[in-house]
Amino acid sequence: MEDGVTLLQSCLDEDLEIPHFCYHPAMTAPANCRQCLVEVGMPRVDRETRERVMDEDGNPVIDFMPKLQTSCSMKVADGMVVRSHRTSELVKRAQKDNLEFLLINHPLDCPICDQAGNCPLQNQTYKYGPEGSRFEFRKVAKPKNIELGPRVVLDGERCINCTRCTRFTQEISGSHQLTIIERGVRNYPMTPPGVVFDEPYSMNVIDICPVGALTSKDHRFKARIWEMSQTPSISTTNAKGSNCVYHVKDNLVLNITTRTNMGVNEFWLADEDRLDYKKFNENRPDGPTVRGQARDWDAAWTEAATLLSGVDGARIQFLGSAHATTEDNYLLSRLAAHVGADTPSYIPHIEEGHGDGWLRTDDRAPNSQGCERLGFFPVDADVLKSRLSAGEIDVLYVMEDDPVGTGVCALSDLEGVKIILHHYHSTNATLPAASVALPAAMAVETVGTFVNCDGHAQRLRPAKAIRGVNRTLAMEVGKSRADLHGTPFDRWYTESNMVDCEPGWVSIPAIAERVGLNLSYKGPRAIMAELSDSNPAFQGATYDAMGEWGFRLDVVGQSEPHPQTA
Amino acid sequence: MASKAGDWRNYERVLLPPVKDLHRLDVFENHGGYDALRQALTTEKWNPSSVTEEVKKSGLRGRGGAGFPTGLKWTFMPPANPDIPRFICCNADESEPGTFKDRQVMEYNPHRIFEGMILAGYAMTIKTAYLYVRGEYADWITHMERELEKAYAKGYVGKNIMGSDFSMDIVIHKGAGAYICGEESSLMNSLEGKRAYPRIKPPFPAQKGIWNYPTTINNVETFAHVPLILSRGADWFSSIGAPSSPGPVLYGISGHVNRPGVYEYPSGMLISDLIDHVAGGMRGGKKLKAVVPGGSSVPVLRADMIDGVAMDPDSLREAGSMLGTAGMLVMDEDTDMVSFLRRITRFYHHESCGQCTPCREGTGWLENIVTRIDEGEGNMKDLDLLIDLCSQMEGRTVCALADAAAWPVRHTITRFREEFEAKCRPSLVATHVESAAV
Repeated sequence: MEDGVTLLQSCLDEDLEIPHFCYHPAMTAPANCRQCLVEVGMPRVDRETRERVMDEDGNPVIDFMPKLQTSCSMKVADGMVVRSHRTSELVKRAQKDNLEFLLINHPLDCPICDQAGNCPLQNQTYKYGPEGSRFEFRKVAKPKNIELGPRVVLDGERCINCTRCTRFTQEISGSHQLTIIERGVRNYPMTPPGVVFDEPYSMNVIDICPVGALTSKDHRFKARIWEMSQTPSISTTNAKGSNCVYHVKDNLVLNITTRTNMGVNEFWLADEDRLDYKKFNENRPDGPTVRGQARDWDAAWTEAATLLSGVDGARIQFLGSAHATTEDNYLLSRLAAHVGADTPSYIPHIEEGHGDGWLRTDDRAPNSQGCERLGFFPVDADVLKSRLSAGEIDVLYVMEDDPVGTGVCALSDLEGVKIILHHYHSTNATLPAASVALPAAMAVETVGTFVNCDGHAQRLRPAKAIRGVNRTLAMEVGKSRADLHGTPFDRWYTESNMVDCEPGWVSIPAIAERVGLNLSYKGPRAIMAELSDSNPAFQGATYDAMGEWGFRLDVVGQSEPHPQTA
Repeated sequence: MASKAGDWRNYERVLLPPVKDLHRLDVFENHGGYDALRQALTTEKWNPSSVTEEVKKSGLRGRGGAGFPTGLKWTFMPPANPDIPRFICCNADESEPGTFKDRQVMEYNPHRIFEGMILAGYAMTIKTAYLYVRGEYADWITHMERELEKAYAKGYVGKNIMGSDFSMDIVIHKGAGAYICGEESSLMNSLEGKRAYPRIKPPFPAQKGIWNYPTTINNVETFAHVPLILSRGADWFSSIGAPSSPGPVLYGISGHVNRPGVYEYPSGMLISDLIDHVAGGMRGGKKLKAVVPGGSSVPVLRADMIDGVAMDPDSLREAGSMLGTAGMLVMDEDTDMVSFLRRITRFYHHESCGQCTPCREGTGWLENIVTRIDEGEGNMKDLDLLIDLCSQMEGRTVCALADAAAWPVRHTITRFREEFEAKCRPSLVATHVESAAV
């Protein structure tokens, strides 16, 4: 056993559950919830010989401490003997007693509480709590529906005073925007006078709150946890690639919460990552268009192929995308090479000063590293504009980005240029100029790999279905959505809210086939397998190696392998 | 059992001697004030370890309620290291109901406290000492600040005290009005400007105290004893009163007696002597009903339980209570014990800091039930529920406030059960619950 490890953590590491509320592995243990009480004994040591005293059978004599101990604050020691609720009636009773206390002033409004179904207090009460209550008095009234800040709402009555939230702002984020006010049974967390709980990581307290006292202003009352499916994936708002869970109901992403990955974001997720889900639901295009007219996919791909074939490769400009997966960018580079064009560039999405050295980065796109590792360079807007105005470009192939919207060029620069555009949104500013517009699957609808700012390659898993039949996607949906609640409420198979789009790894091979290039792979897994084998920048990054926690790629140009982070 | 206080009738007061204006520095000096300090700092006889030894030898036990041997506590401090700050703190957050003896020392003999603190600081090589006074003692804070200023001016506190190379500052800190701040670890948090939640022990203050540096905290009365131990000797001190807990004690007597007040006598006084002879007997010639011997949290004793019981830890433990702060609450035959307990539970409910679940939730629940019984709305089963709740609270929290809240409930009910039953609604089922003897 590691030195200095607490009893509770070592039990949790061994999958031995001990009920607890206030303990969090990333923060100090205040031992205030008193739920994790156990009996602790130490071997009796002879005062003179300093040796352990043995009984008649040769077993060490154990002296149990007179009081129950909180396992969260008790360090594991050699020879320690512990009796938990599994082996001690006393502990079992103490845990039940404690839950009775916790519940006497808890409103028990589970039927209207957002935390219900995902609530440590609820779960542990069912497992360890008393069957009824002997409390026959009015519960303490505390402030409810208080907006602590723009994103977090407090229900003071539900609070069990574990102080996880205040410790988060003190020990993790350092904002000190929350503190406990009042005294005794009237305690609840609050902002100090004149302070607003608006730090960019405020919503983490919603995740760590063991009851429904802190809820998301954005998500509250929208859906019950068991009505949504949960897909472990990664966030897309910046280059950190924080691990997250997408909560989806009827093919609408309704919430994003954190997913623990000690190699990337640990336990935390920035607010921007959590609130960035509407882009997956709103303003999505409805099928491909050719010069503004709706066409079927076959016709659109054929038209795109036609545009590419009749032109000198040097007069075609390919733009890859830091929003698209590494696999799709790789396919694009193969297509570009086939038609004789230069290696694609990509549009950088840098917002100076946005990064904070923690989970937010200046880079607002999730896969710039993937593009760089494929040999793509950031596009030089001035060069592109001068080439456009000099009439050197006949065809502009834009994958999953928006050159007009990002200001790389203006609509007027694009007059006379044929544009093939993979786009996510009907609001894409380049769309009016597109000759062929191919709706693209977004990060929550596809399979692929993003490489974060630290060279950590991580898999995207499909959280929602797109229209049309795609065996690879269907299989990945089935595999990735560990359906915690086995919900019959998420009707992902119905057509409603499915977007008529295709992943890059479907569209690009279809166009390639029509210009005489065979890019057929058995799905993105095979594409990444090929890349990890053939390109040193992606060495070893197979889907199996990435698994749930990602794979730390070598620093390009160095031969020394990086240890895989767990 | 008998009195261990010896010839207490001829006892000469030392902590609160009958000297007019003793709080004034000049009067204090004229009556041997700061002599012990001068001796310790300027004569060969004394060095830090011999001061500690003398205190250890005297058998002085802490007067804040827990009764831990003071000298032993001082030896828990790690060896002095000039790079690591260390502190002592005087706990003057006297808030236990029935306890008001420290205020007396602060008022009549403040320099004795300062002198004791400096001696303790010398013994433990301290540069900064804090004097944490409860906020409600605003007048006494002003009073002590004024006197401390004079002591500074005379060179008894501050740089190079009395020309020696020992320097120490005393900082008076005003609490903001919470009973829990008297618990030493929450006192430290409060002193640091944090919310006064008690800390988990271990680590103990001597390892990680104020700002996580080694700290020793003693009660006002404890510090005030130190100069006397040095000037009159450990043997003198240990010969006073009960051998297991020797020395003069400030008995705070309140309640239904003719002359309530703070009285200085040897330890080990008989409770009956204190009531009948020291405090002038029961008010109005009433009969005694109950005594809480050491502040509101210690178990109450029935009148028939105090025969021959002396105010020292052993005797009181035998009788079924504790010495605590030696703040005696005396109640006569007209006292409604349910009402008494109601007031006590209200206090602990009000003062629970709310950190630990059993105390935060339990104290309020106790008050709810006792209030209901007091108002005639209680049921017989409530009494068992109260005892049950006490078991659910005792020993399961970070600090001892939950125990302090539960003990009065447990013992008042077991020792005066018939009074509680009389106030409850009669049980619908015939029961034969006998009143517990003890």
